[in-house]
Amino acid sequence: MAPAIIETNGLTRSYGDICALKPLDLQVPEGEWLSVMGHSGSGKSTFMNLVGGLDRPTAGSLKVGGEDLLMLSEDGLARFRREFVGIIFQQHHLVPYLTAVENVMLAQYFHSVPDEAEARSALERVGLGHRLKNRPGELSGGEQQRVCIARAIINSPKLLLGDEPTGNLDHKSTVMVMELLKELRAEERFTVIMVTHNQEVATWGDRTIYLDDGVLVREERMRS
Amino acid sequence: MVAVKLIPLLFSWFGIVLVLLRGFSGRRVPVAATGVVGFALGVVGAFALLRSYPGELSFGIVRGVVAGVFLLLWGTAVAALYRNTMREFHVFQGEKLVNASFYAVIFTCTTSIIAGAVCTCRLPVTGGTILALLLLVLAAGILVLAALAAEKMLPASLTVSQPALMAAVVALLLFSASSLIRLDLFSPLSMKVMKFAHDFVHQFFESMLIPDHLFIRTYLWGYIGLLFGNGVGFWGGMIIWFTPVVLILLSIRFELLPSVAHIRQGAKRRKLLAAAIRERRIRLVIPLLALLVFAAAAYRSSYPSVEYWDPTPVPVLASPAGEIVIPKQGEINLEDGKLHKYLYKQGGKEARFFVLLNPSGEFTVDLDACAICKPDGYGQAEGTVICYYCKTLIPLETVGKPGGCNPVPVPFTVKADGVHIDALTMINTWGNTVQATARIKEGGK
Amino acid sequence: MLFRILKNSFLKRPKSVFLVFLSIAMGAAVATAFLGIAGEVSHKMALELRSYGANILLEPSAVEGGGFLREEDLPNIKTVFWKYNITGFTPYLFGVAEFSAGDKKERGVVSGTWFNKELAVPGEETTVQGIKVIAPWWDVQGDWPAAADEAIVGAALARRLKIGVGSEVATTARGRTQRFRVSGIVTTGGYEEEQLFAPLVTVQELLQQQGKVSRVLVSALTVPMDDFGKKDPATMSKDEYEKWYCTAYVTAVAKNVEEVMAGSRAKPIWQIASAEGALLNKLNSVMLFLTILALGASATAVSTSLMASMAERSPEIALMKAVGADRFQISAIFIGETLIISVAGGVVGYLLGDQLAEIISRTVFNSTISSPLWLFPTAIISAFVVAIAGSVAPLRRALLVEPVRVLKG
Repeated sequence: MAPAIIETNGLTRSYGDICALKPLDLQVPEGEWLSVMGHSGSGKSTFMNLVGGLDRPTAGSLKVGGEDLLMLSEDGLARFRREFVGIIFQQHHLVPYLTAVENVMLAQYFHSVPDEAEARSALERVGLGHRLKNRPGELSGGEQQRVCIARAIINSPKLLLGDEPTGNLDHKSTVMVMELLKELRAEERFTVIMVTHNQEVATWGDRTIYLDDGVLVREERMRS
Repeated sequence: MVAVKLIPLLFSWFGIVLVLLRGFSGRRVPVAATGVVGFALGVVGAFALLRSYPGELSFGIVRGVVAGVFLLLWGTAVAALYRNTMREFHVFQGEKLVNASFYAVIFTCTTSIIAGAVCTCRLPVTGGTILALLLLVLAAGILVLAALAAEKMLPASLTVSQPALMAAVVALLLFSASSLIRLDLFSPLSMKVMKFAHDFVHQFFESMLIPDHLFIRTYLWGYIGLLFGNGVGFWGGMIIWFTPVVLILLSIRFELLPSVAHIRQGAKRRKLLAAAIRERRIRLVIPLLALLVFAAAAYRSSYPSVEYWDPTPVPVLASPAGEIVIPKQGEINLEDGKLHKYLYKQGGKEARFFVLLNPSGEFTVDLDACAICKPDGYGQAEGTVICYYCKTLIPLETVGKPGGCNPVPVPFTVKADGVHIDALTMINTWGNTVQATARIKEGGK
Repeated sequence: MLFRILKNSFLKRPKSVFLVFLSIAMGAAVATAFLGIAGEVSHKMALELRSYGANILLEPSAVEGGGFLREEDLPNIKTVFWKYNITGFTPYLFGVAEFSAGDKKERGVVSGTWFNKELAVPGEETTVQGIKVIAPWWDVQGDWPAAADEAIVGAALARRLKIGVGSEVATTARGRTQRFRVSGIVTTGGYEEEQLFAPLVTVQELLQQQGKVSRVLVSALTVPMDDFGKKDPATMSKDEYEKWYCTAYVTAVAKNVEEVMAGSRAKPIWQIASAEGALLNKLNSVMLFLTILALGASATAVSTSLMASMAERSPEIALMKAVGADRFQISAIFIGETLIISVAGGVVGYLLGDQLAEIISRTVFNSTISSPLWLFPTAIISAFVVAIAGSVAPLRRALLVEPVRVLKG
């Protein structure tokens, strides 16, 4: 078994009295595609935010890629996010006034230096070679999500997080996006954590964990 | 008093050591040791020089060395720019030297000898006792230790390239030298530039153009007049002064980034590029600081805080024949090239004047006032006298010639026993001049 | 890339950018205009104030007998060091006289003076001197005297004598009588209303005081008195005296005038002199205060509109943070944005302010002004200050955006 890229020990996140994530022990080996399932408020998004360095746990330990996220400062977390993690959101979340290629370059700019040729080829890779100069408003939902994927993988992250990436997409687009992710994963060999409440999407993964009310209730391994 | 005057010099010495230690970070101890030894050598050498050739010669030598270092900086800057903008440029001879292991020691040694010599020149000639020299070397040594400690506190990312090191060291040396009017380079540089422009224009007209040519319109004369303006020397001097550091800054800015084409992964490639760009920016820090030091040196040179030679006027009397006679030798040695001020009173009137042996070996007698300004008088500095009222520097060579803010000359005769001046002429010249300037002054307000 | 972000951000949100730009430009314009006319206003106000009376009184010094000044010395006043600061002067010769008109008889003061006399001084430009110049607020019904036997009569005296324009008044003093034709009745609101004013030459003849003058009123432009100006010139060192003499304090000008009028003593009329100084000082502080107020207001406006656009842009900021931007990078984008707007706003504000100053000075003071060179950097710097001051709070807010909360759902 590959070494663990994510290691949590009693990972807890509470907002005041409400405990969004009860102590969670979990290990994710490198290269795994993990699906996290559960209904609204089950703590799956909280889990993803913690792993992606967007939020801080209230208790427990959290190591991602050998880095103890609890020890990092705010700017340290920002560096961790731009170098280690790629995130795809449910609602595409692109900067509305920048074109597709500029949105990808934005991630490059925060990471190091922008490189337009590279950003362009990344968009070509996700099949958007013809829509480089379009702004998000001019793109369909599926296309926007593909821009997000291009942006998420542009800095060669070790970890790709998806927060219901197909939540707003129709069936055809969903399949397209998932196929794309699968292809890219085969090439780039990143670890995927995919939060979803869609059983079908979850089946694309190697393993599925079920969260309910902040507690890991079930774990299921896929056969492929 | 002397110690206070030395503070800026010692401060720049500290800076020099700091930047040397950072520049040769692999050889901290040899550099520090060489620095102390070199400084001591410089102090002793300058002391010996000043003792054996008192006067202008030894200062001239030290100034020459400083000027040489400045020229060297020019060379380095041009070479650096050339190297960093051309891809293939390995045949640079100096590069072998720079890469040699003994280079750090040689460079440090030369630098500290000059620094020591400049510091010694700042000591008053008569007061330059052995004790003062020992104290000076001791202070320098302590500063080297302090620099050793301080260098460790600097952020590790702050690196210094060789041209930048050179720029910083030269800037600090020039700053030290600018505190002495006899070692200062910027003012003579601007003066040279101005003279050159003058001569050039002059020659140009003598050889090529007849001045009153029909085709030369008045506006053209306006442009030609620009070349004669005071600004030419200043701005020309500024350009020569700052260009080397600017060239070094440009050379760093144009430094090629490392080739990253062989790295397949885009993120890694960009990360390397970003790091290289950041490093390049950090390397700009030291030359930028050097630029500030150059500016400070030019400022100090333009507004020197030096004290002028300004003796109190000696009262003199006229002989019954109405002649003022000032002996060449005696209490005051007239032939020492310094300004000697006298005060002559007759009835209710008085006149202040000075006698000076100018560099061409001729005496000149002038009022301690000019035809334009309030009669605040003159002080003497290296190679010039300065009008206290309008702060104009007048070269010693032109003292004795009338016009502008030059001191108003008074007719006199030189005889074997001394300088003879007609007392009545003196009083009248003073009266006319001072009355005239007073009237002009009122009208001008 | 930074510039690409900024460019697109400007192009896509023209309205909020324009609002910020407008606030900054207005602030810079007001600052430019106020500072630009402040100096000019002081000058113009001084001139205006000067038209409300003389501020130096020249009288015969008590020591020298006779009690008169010489008329022939008067042109000297236009040759003194401060000649350009002296806007006008008028000599007076007073005498008590018996006025009779019709059957009325009254005692009163007859004064000989200049009304508007052309004064030619060798080596200087010819100027017009007299009451008309230094007392423009005199309200004369009828005409100023044009002939040697014409006079103007103070309103109160005219009432008592029951005379009007065109009447004749016989004036008797020291046994001599001179008949004046009344060319005008003057209302001043002061003691002048009890007097009869006639040309100096005529009165000199009437009073048998040829070539003599009892007092001279001088109107001079002066700087406000400060502590240094109040020092006694007698106790000053040579340099101090020189500085004092070269500053247009009312005392210095008075001293200056005194020197050229034989046997005179000059007294500053303090009421007017100090009131002027205080007024000008107040005026300057009001201008400065208004400028600061205007800058503060525009900083507040900048802050408000940035705050509003920050709220609107918080998803964008959250997204940038989620993608990995640290605080420095976020600040660079937003500060860069405001700085660019503020440079543009500063330039436009300067141009606007310059025009504004010109309009103000034309409508209020009826003259043109030339704006000093330092106003441009001042405008740019005030725009910068406004922008920075206005963006502190919004920037803090931007840095506090939590991506998790904003990007939720």
